[in-house]
Amino acid sequence: MAEPLLEVSKLTLDYNLGNRKMRALDRISFRLDKGQVLGVAGESGCGKSTLGLAILRLLPRVAEIRRGEVLFNGTDLLKLSEEQMEREIRGQKITMIFQVPQNALNPVFKIETQMTDILRVQDKYQNPGSRKRRKDFRQQAIERLGSTGIADPAARVSNYPFEFSGGMKQRVMIGMALSSGTSLLLADEATTALDVTIEAQINRLITELADKYGTSILYITHNLGVLSEMADRIMIMYAGRIFEMGQTQSVLGNPRHPYSAALLESLPSRQTKGKRLLAIPGFVPPLDRLPSGCSFHPRCPFAEEMCRQEVPPLIEVDKGHWSACLLDQKRGRQKWKWI
Amino acid sequence: MEVDLIQIKNLKTYFFQGKGLLSKWFGQGLKIVHAVDGVSLTIKKGRTFGLVGESGCGKSTLGNTIFRLVEPLEGEVLFQGHDVVKMDQKELREFRQKSQIIFQDQFGCMNPRMTVGQIIAEPLMMRQGKQKNHQDISQEVAELLSAVNLDPDAAVKFPNEFSGGQARRIGVARAIALNPMFIMADEPTSGLDISTAATILNLMQDLQEKMDITYLWVSHNLNQVKYMSDDMAVMYLGKVVEMGQTKEVFDQMAHPYTRALISAVPQVSTGEQKQTIFLKGEIPSPINPPSGCYFRTRCPQVFKRCEEEEPPLLDLGGGHFCACHLHDGH
Repeated sequence: MAEPLLEVSKLTLDYNLGNRKMRALDRISFRLDKGQVLGVAGESGCGKSTLGLAILRLLPRVAEIRRGEVLFNGTDLLKLSEEQMEREIRGQKITMIFQVPQNALNPVFKIETQMTDILRVQDKYQNPGSRKRRKDFRQQAIERLGSTGIADPAARVSNYPFEFSGGMKQRVMIGMALSSGTSLLLADEATTALDVTIEAQINRLITELADKYGTSILYITHNLGVLSEMADRIMIMYAGRIFEMGQTQSVLGNPRHPYSAALLESLPSRQTKGKRLLAIPGFVPPLDRLPSGCSFHPRCPFAEEMCRQEVPPLIEVDKGHWSACLLDQKRGRQKWKWI
Repeated sequence: MEVDLIQIKNLKTYFFQGKGLLSKWFGQGLKIVHAVDGVSLTIKKGRTFGLVGESGCGKSTLGNTIFRLVEPLEGEVLFQGHDVVKMDQKELREFRQKSQIIFQDQFGCMNPRMTVGQIIAEPLMMRQGKQKNHQDISQEVAELLSAVNLDPDAAVKFPNEFSGGQARRIGVARAIALNPMFIMADEPTSGLDISTAATILNLMQDLQEKMDITYLWVSHNLNQVKYMSDDMAVMYLGKVVEMGQTKEVFDQMAHPYTRALISAVPQVSTGEQKQTIFLKGEIPSPINPPSGCYFRTRCPQVFKRCEEEEPPLLDLGGGHFCACHLHDGH
């Protein structure tokens, strides 16, 4: 039986910008089991990165969590003190890798310094009173670097970030992020900036290391192809809400929400040359002016009167497959023929 | 009837590092970056030519050399039979009216202090001199904006008021302002959301049909190149390793690099698992390319000859070319 590692329930978050209030996350509930990969997909501005940052509580001051729980191994992260977060969670049990690794590495310090910094802090909190020395940390850093597939780690550890390519920098980040202590990795568009061949290498590395350490992954991306290959389950977000969630095969194979169906139809890989791609009409609404009812209704050609009035709940429409579409829920299973 | 619009013959663009005085005194001598290393290809009129490869393979440099934004070392770029490399300023100006570029960083291409109307009007003013009155030009700008599905009111706004997708549309509007025959699109949808990218692709296909434009589609997104292009070339370290009709290249991938590249593209699959070929390491430096076949350091099917001899670009039949010793019959 799968054990839950992360259980988020009804997480609601606002950005307060002067007199404007934007609801960036609206009653987000999901669970992530141990050793599983949950993919989060959606267009820009749908709240997927905010979700990652909210779990680590790394949000800017204008963000305000209105309600909800983030249970990690049974502990509510939102109730921990800032110090506890720093000591026990961030960089220890939950780590994050970002889209642009060069922004996460300090250009004026050697890779060694930056890796041993992390190791030293982890060691300080995990084994208080440990007497490890600089040499030991360096050795550990070399091992970590080697485990990410960088050739000749003993020499490369003395390099500066600019001497590494984009793919190698992302390997360094993964080396820093994944260790035996990590139980959750948040990957926010971790391979978006890389070439396809390097992307494939990095994704394989993440999967292998996660398997080795039993780490669960929350994989945030807009690339449905990557999720199709990596994720056990997928969650589709739109304007701060979850629209659809379920096993990868069933969400991508039988989307129950018209938005998910549209995302799949707009992929060039799904279409033969000469046929037009689906372009969803209209735009993602600004978060401070969300439409009434279902936030997707102005762009949805299937929308009816009830979609304008009622906010659709996220309901389990099939075993393990959740969807938030009133039409699907009230009129029975629909085939979303966009084109 | 298919007419050749652009013929590139043995084009070489090298960059030289270490030319400065300090490098002469203290450096390790001159370093040559083989950015484009003997490329020959033909772009047919009214079709889309896809150019793919990893970053650093020279695909953007090749594009820039065609427009002479970068001067080639040797080779020819024939545009309707005239060699762009040998053109003087006047001819070059005429050539550049017939050919346009849509760059990847669209915001970087727009002056933030000019309105979108001014930005799009600029090429029109250049063409028509000063005698055309403002009325006509703003009329034309409005038509261009609606041609790319933007509100004509956008003309009075500034670039920062637009989203990424809209900025691309402005770039497209400016590119088609002078009725060009040829447009190079350098990663035209990178950084856009799936659905927004789809609108740009649809738009560019419509324009191609309406205005009979030839595209050079530079991208590392293979799904997109497969969908958009009629012909394609795969580049690696400044050389073309495989070239042909897109359908042919995808159906009968001949070069091990093409196979690895295509297999690495993440696909939304609902059934069978595809086999990804993982390449070792990364693209080598174009300063010191490997001997023989440039791809041999990462090739899963490497053998002895690859190290000694550079594979020529061989015709496999039907205009499908591949530079690999595996197809040499020996």
